[in-house]
Amino acid sequence: MKILVAVKQVAALDEDFEIRADGRDVEADFLIRDLNEWDDFSLEEAVKIKEAAAEPVEVVAVSVGPEEVDESLRKCLAKGADRAVRIWDAAVEGSDSIAIARILAAAARREAPNLLFAGVQSSDQSFASTGIAVAGLLGWPHAAVVSALSYSPGAKSAVLRRELEGGLLHEIEIQCPAVLTIQLGINTPRYASLRSIKQAAAKPIEVLSLADVGLNAGDVGEAGSLSRVRRMYIPERGRAQLIEGDAAAQAARLAEIIREFTGGSV
Amino acid sequence: MSIPVSRTDAVTRILFEAFGKAEVRLFYLIGYAAIAVFFYGAYVQVRKYRRGAALKLEGGLWKRLGDMLSAVLSHRTIERRDRGAGGAHRLIFYGFMLLFAGTATITLQYDILEPLFGIRFWYGEFYLVFSLVLDVAGVALIAGLVYMMYRRGWMRLPKLDYARPDRVPGDPDFDRPQYRREDWAFLWILLIIGVTGYVLEAARLVWLQDRADVWDTRWWSPVGAAVAEALSALGLSAHAGGVLRHGLWWFHGLIALVLIALIPFTKVKHIFTAAASLMVRDPLAAQRLPRVPESQAEAGAAKITDFNWKQLLNLDACTKCGRCHEACPARAVGAPLSPRDVILSLREFAKATLESGVVPEAAELDIHGKAPGQVAMETLWSCRTCMACVEICPVAVEHVPIIVQMRRKLVEDGAMDPLLTKTLQTIHKTGNSFGESKRKRGSWSKALPFPVKDARKEPVDVLWFVGDYASFDPRNQKVSQLFATLLREAGVDFGILYDGESNAGNDVRRVGEEGLYEVLATANVSALSSASFKSIVTTDPHSFNTIRNEYPDFGGKYQIQHYTTLLKQSFAEGRLRVANPLKYRVTFHDPCHLGRFNKGYEAPRELLALLGCELVEMGRCRANSFCCGAGGGRIWVPDPVGTEKPAQNRIKEAAAIPGLEVYVVSCPKDLTMFEDAVKTTGNEGKFVVKELIELVREATVARNVEAVTA
Amino acid sequence: MSGILVIAEQRRGELRPVSQELVGAAIGLRRAGDEVAVAILSDAPDRFVAPLSVAGVDEIVTVKTASPEFDPDAFDSAVGALIAARAPDVVLAAHSVDSFGYAAALATRLGMGFATDVFKAERIDGELVATRGGYGQKVNVEVDFPGRATVLLCVRGNVFKPPEPSASPRVTSFAAPPVMSRSKGREFIELSGGDDVDMAAAEFILTIGRGIGEESKVPQFRELADAVGATLGCSRPIADAGWLPKSRQVGQSGKTASACKLYIAMGVSGAIQHLAGMKHVGTIVAVNSDAEASIFGVAKYGIVGDIFEVADELRKLF
Repeated sequence: MKILVAVKQVAALDEDFEIRADGRDVEADFLIRDLNEWDDFSLEEAVKIKEAAAEPVEVVAVSVGPEEVDESLRKCLAKGADRAVRIWDAAVEGSDSIAIARILAAAARREAPNLLFAGVQSSDQSFASTGIAVAGLLGWPHAAVVSALSYSPGAKSAVLRRELEGGLLHEIEIQCPAVLTIQLGINTPRYASLRSIKQAAAKPIEVLSLADVGLNAGDVGEAGSLSRVRRMYIPERGRAQLIEGDAAAQAARLAEIIREFTGGSV
Repeated sequence: MSIPVSRTDAVTRILFEAFGKAEVRLFYLIGYAAIAVFFYGAYVQVRKYRRGAALKLEGGLWKRLGDMLSAVLSHRTIERRDRGAGGAHRLIFYGFMLLFAGTATITLQYDILEPLFGIRFWYGEFYLVFSLVLDVAGVALIAGLVYMMYRRGWMRLPKLDYARPDRVPGDPDFDRPQYRREDWAFLWILLIIGVTGYVLEAARLVWLQDRADVWDTRWWSPVGAAVAEALSALGLSAHAGGVLRHGLWWFHGLIALVLIALIPFTKVKHIFTAAASLMVRDPLAAQRLPRVPESQAEAGAAKITDFNWKQLLNLDACTKCGRCHEACPARAVGAPLSPRDVILSLREFAKATLESGVVPEAAELDIHGKAPGQVAMETLWSCRTCMACVEICPVAVEHVPIIVQMRRKLVEDGAMDPLLTKTLQTIHKTGNSFGESKRKRGSWSKALPFPVKDARKEPVDVLWFVGDYASFDPRNQKVSQLFATLLREAGVDFGILYDGESNAGNDVRRVGEEGLYEVLATANVSALSSASFKSIVTTDPHSFNTIRNEYPDFGGKYQIQHYTTLLKQSFAEGRLRVANPLKYRVTFHDPCHLGRFNKGYEAPRELLALLGCELVEMGRCRANSFCCGAGGGRIWVPDPVGTEKPAQNRIKEAAAIPGLEVYVVSCPKDLTMFEDAVKTTGNEGKFVVKELIELVREATVARNVEAVTA
Repeated sequence: MSGILVIAEQRRGELRPVSQELVGAAIGLRRAGDEVAVAILSDAPDRFVAPLSVAGVDEIVTVKTASPEFDPDAFDSAVGALIAARAPDVVLAAHSVDSFGYAAALATRLGMGFATDVFKAERIDGELVATRGGYGQKVNVEVDFPGRATVLLCVRGNVFKPPEPSASPRVTSFAAPPVMSRSKGREFIELSGGDDVDMAAAEFILTIGRGIGEESKVPQFRELADAVGATLGCSRPIADAGWLPKSRQVGQSGKTASACKLYIAMGVSGAIQHLAGMKHVGTIVAVNSDAEASIFGVAKYGIVGDIFEVADELRKLF
């Protein structure tokens, strides 16, 4: 039984970042990379299923990206993934979430897992699309924003809860194999100590090219995307009217604002 | 057997006088049996220690022996914070040692020198002086024992309360009455041996009153003679004296032999284990923690056998004196931690598992948990690694490394508070515990009217290692700015590492995340090695400790001072001058990592004196300074709602000083913790918390200039 | 390809307000001759015709589905068939949990232009350009869809203004093809998060965020909220940590401060999910020690300072 977990190494912006000369992205120097927060949860969910299962379950982490992504994959290995796979080719540059989904779907066809997890969204671009796009490409049943999951390995269906707006939950039963996008808070991700991350270096990361997964350059990059970045810019920030002075002065003004609102009844 | 008539100048005591040959043989048999039992017991103990991991000791054997003898003979570690116990134990120790030496001397002649070589010396004047000394020794012994009985039975010392903070009433090992029984049994046995010794001595005198050399020299054993007079007065005849002596002789001898046999099985073994423990002490035990060898599969202590032989010996050296229990700040505020009980739990565990012929399966050697002998997670996480326990322990038990090693296992398992997990991840990602971008590390210096040199780019005399809190916490940033100003005023050529500096790692290591510590230490050593400087100064005692004591293990050996030493020097050399003496009534809180860890007690006090402040010490000062509670990673994990925090406990102590104006600290974490505590204990407005740097700046700025530059 | 197709959302028999906002967005994209059609999928779609009758809607298309609630396969199939049949050049859906469940699969299957969490959409030189956030909403990203005849945009809620109700658009029905659904809805579960406070009805809210640091600080702010007459709210991290019940969480997966007129956020950084629940409030005062916190971007008044000091001072005045 195998669970494939698609993970992403996201980029956060450092202080005083600058937009690239071509105006379509941020200067690479200012990007701080780390494993996507949602992927901590989806990986943990997969490892939990593995640890609770009577039969052997293999957890495989897969990601699309260049060599620096190995650091995040190693973290996944330290947290309990058995294997890691990375796919990269220069042609992948400029891919949107759908083009990435094509690659992940190709990897899924190669791995033939029983379940495929992805995070609901990534903390950098928040497309909230990649996982479900993979499901569309594979033609698999799918559910998004899973905040609770009950699944026994190899079972024909799973029961899960979708976390809706306003704190409402919708419980559904879904046929398996399925693609599920996992929401924050579904579990408590375990801590991977630095030692265990270092030791995970012993587990290999398989690096594949597009050809290895049966794709070519035309399937990815801008050609394989459903959108294209025209321009990236730093927005005008709404300016809040700053209340100056020491804490006492600021509190006094705030009290005025409150009393204006409550009509002085407090 | 006929009684030989001895001459007075050859006066001696005839051993086994009037005993039948069979009796003597029986006695020797029992004696040898007792010694055999003793050696067997000792073998079992040593085998237990050897079942621990290997350890290579640093330093020469002779120096260690010398240090141990010095500590033991002076009793200086026992009299700390308990002069009564120190004095009484001295009496017991010297009394017992002399009495034992006396017996050994007799045995030496009687069993070895005389039969083999015909040498005799125990007679005449030597014998008489010998008898006097031993009588006095006996008095000392009994006096010490009586005081100890009074101390245990009547003084109700809190540190002798065996109730554990990490168990609740009803738990099998909550109170350990068996310890109390053993304590009293030991006292009574020794007392009985001492008292029967005198009565025995007296009985012999009464029995041999007709023998001139014995009777005329009896006052060389003054106590024995006095008791003999009393016995005679009570009507004891010579014959009855002989019977009494014969009976008491056996009684006294048997008890003594039983005691010897039982040494390795009871608390009496502390005679050896305490001395041995003192001999293998590491003077940098808590200041410099051990690395995890690359080859080791598991980081940290999961099983009792993961401790090394020295640590297992430490467990047995503990005499339950309770000084660590008393000193621990976590215990003082009701946290489920007593260093004493961590050691005793593990001791019981080692005893239960490692003293039989075969070592049990690994599964039964797990020291983590809530079963008797195990140590709970909550206990380990309560520790502030302030080393109050290690510092005060009279027998050199090293609690902190044991706790940290167990924490390493918890970290591997991810068994920690989620806030702590998050902080460790943050430190890994950004190199600081605030989650701020590395690039902002030097931003505090932008507010200064002068540029601060970048030590990565140009050589400096003094490299200032700033630290996380001083770089990112707004309150502490102000202090950093003042220190930069002082350095400039003092004409010091200094610089900082800006983004090249990461969290020094002291607390990360003490949390038990050794892998992350290695990353941080390696990064900092690399940054420091690329920079060019003569010495390092730091305003952060935690960074001071780890750079000074632990970075050498990572290839970084630097000359480093805490700012108090540098400022003191600056004043001494006239580069800083007091323009405006401060007349504040202050108290000084010794930061753990500067004071107790690195013995840096004097420089801050000298500075305060220079500034003209009136220093009133708190009761718990210098080596006994009471930790603010932030160490050991606890600043990253909030205390449970409703409990008293160590910082609050400490502020209440300061608040008792009448007319106190300023509570002086010299550590960024102390500043944060105590300012908060002043508010939450309702002492706002009564006195303020100030960093020593702030006071120095205040004093060096002339009053008329203040309005312009403030 | 012409015309704009809006996919409305309903749940538990109620039309979700974002549906009307989508019409507002559609109106902004309309070219001469474009019609705006709104499709509503439900087992009893007719009941939603009235609330969907707003200005700008030319046609309401009712689509009867087997299940009363969202089902990914049913939506994928029905919406796909609608698009095939009507050939709109723009399809607008909400950037919502339901959309997360099917939109990307559908767009991929049909090869449509696709962008999510769009908060601005316009035509530049005849090309459709959508704007969304990037790098944790710290930058804006304009995307376009070269060569795509139809574009599906998932639009962010609480951004576009819903039009006024109007008279009658024409109502048609569309027969969705039969579909074998691979998931089955069971039940809805309300998260009973503690107390029965009604955040959605509160007019004056004081919210605390991660900036308060520790659980032991919560009582101080609870007391402050009481003193000034506000309802105490919190951001997600506080509720997740259990320091306050989930019922007090304001944000995307918490409550929307719908009736709120004065919102004071203390120690709240302003993550997009939290903003979703409160940025519409008329008067927002943000108190935070970080001058760069995103919350200042939506606040009317800002106090950069130590939240505890400000809280203490404020408490003294009530």
